[in-house]
Amino acid sequence: MVQAGALITDVGTSGPFVRVTLAAPAMAPGLEAGRFVLADLGDYLRALLFPARIETQEFDVLVSPHHPAAALRPGIAVDLIGPLGQGFEIPAATDRLLLVASTAHLPALLPLADQKPGFSIALLLSAPTAAELYPIRLLPPAVEVTIVTADGSAGHRGSILDLFPDLVRWADCACIADDPATYPALAEIVREVRVELGRRFAQALVVPPMACGVGACQGCAVSVVRGTKLACTDGPVFDLLELR
Amino acid sequence: MTIDLAPNHKAGLALANPVMPAAGCFGFGTEYARLVEVEALGALVVGPLTAHPRRGAEPPRLVPTPGGVLLHTGLANPGLSAVLRRYARVWARSPVPVIVHVAGTAPDEVASCCQRLSGLEAIAGLELGLPDTADPDEATAIIQAAHASASQPLIVRLPLVWADALCQAAVEAGADALTVAAPPRGTAWYGPGNHFITGRLYGPYVLPLALRALRRVAALVSIPLIGCGGVHTVEDARAFLHAGAAAVQIDGAIWRDPACLAHVARSLRI
Repeated sequence: MVQAGALITDVGTSGPFVRVTLAAPAMAPGLEAGRFVLADLGDYLRALLFPARIETQEFDVLVSPHHPAAALRPGIAVDLIGPLGQGFEIPAATDRLLLVASTAHLPALLPLADQKPGFSIALLLSAPTAAELYPIRLLPPAVEVTIVTADGSAGHRGSILDLFPDLVRWADCACIADDPATYPALAEIVREVRVELGRRFAQALVVPPMACGVGACQGCAVSVVRGTKLACTDGPVFDLLELR
Repeated sequence: MTIDLAPNHKAGLALANPVMPAAGCFGFGTEYARLVEVEALGALVVGPLTAHPRRGAEPPRLVPTPGGVLLHTGLANPGLSAVLRRYARVWARSPVPVIVHVAGTAPDEVASCCQRLSGLEAIAGLELGLPDTADPDEATAIIQAAHASASQPLIVRLPLVWADALCQAAVEAGADALTVAAPPRGTAWYGPGNHFITGRLYGPYVLPLALRALRRVAALVSIPLIGCGGVHTVEDARAFLHAGAAAVQIDGAIWRDPACLAHVARSLRI
């Protein structure tokens, strides 16, 4: 964990997102899917940024056009604190990885879509409409994508809950980034359809507002079965079945 | 040169620099170990802690406000025994004095906390937080309980809105120094949950309120004062010193810029 400057080297678009590339050699090597940095973008609270692509010297973040990071331009330096938190942890024996995300939450899962050869990856991706979907052509070709839209304008019409049970039966490990309001229903399905539940079979991202990022302020509490945990140090990736 | 925050105490509380973090903002001493140059500071203020573990407030605890943040932790902490097991050795190795903040919940709990902390060489001083609702009699009872149980110098952190009303009672009850003040409380509407959240306010807007309180307290008592509230820059810290503070605590600014602690400390080197 360090506090260091990062240089914006590129800004572009990636589907509905603005893509910002940050050169951060002190930070990038420690990043992984689900870990994050806190960026000073001018607001009182630092902005949480999740890497969507990680290289040894730099990383990309994908943010909505309304996010303060979307206004960054190449050549600007940004003060970062990171890498922070506990990311997704893929058990060594995993062969079939299930990713579940709404398009808005997808960027945090994208580093997991680039796995070693021989890995089977399925992505259950949702959006309100086809126009708001992350383009499939931007995903690695090896990822098997199942689309769900609320209005049926693309893929299955309805909710991810309709297709989640079959995919959970298939998977060795499920990594989820969605609206936390869906998590209790997803957890219930996991309990129903899985006979054997390995440690951290289903992992879910929870991102409350954060102040310090290091566990000092106690502000980012998340309710879990046995009390509360802090998203910044215990998470932001939690066992889905542990969340309350 | 040093600043003595407890000149009337047998052990004193000498600091080589007037700058320290505020309780509730720095954790228990390890959280910022890789981000803050601790040796540049005058002291560490760690905690708050209570005699027994406290789960704290249910989420959400934090609401961004214009220019700042509202935070309601409910004094979440693992309790005195667990804190000592985990951190006493860390504090013993600290290059600067460690001041432990004890939440002033009730006289008997405060007494039991201070008794356990008393005599621990790793702890140079105690800071006692008072309930925001304490009247002079309640404040006196809590401070006397701490004073009677603690061997270390006792700093009392006053609630902002009652700082001038409580300061003389705090001195008479045994305070060696006063922190002026605890972050004020406010209420914010939490839209997603459709309810209000009441908590402490952090941000630059607290500085004028805390400065006013400190100046009023400085006119009433003559023990060392520690300015606390809304310090984000060297000039903010200097304003507290001009107003009569012997030392300064930095609160929410640490979250935004951990490096500011050492920066302000170096700029105010004595």
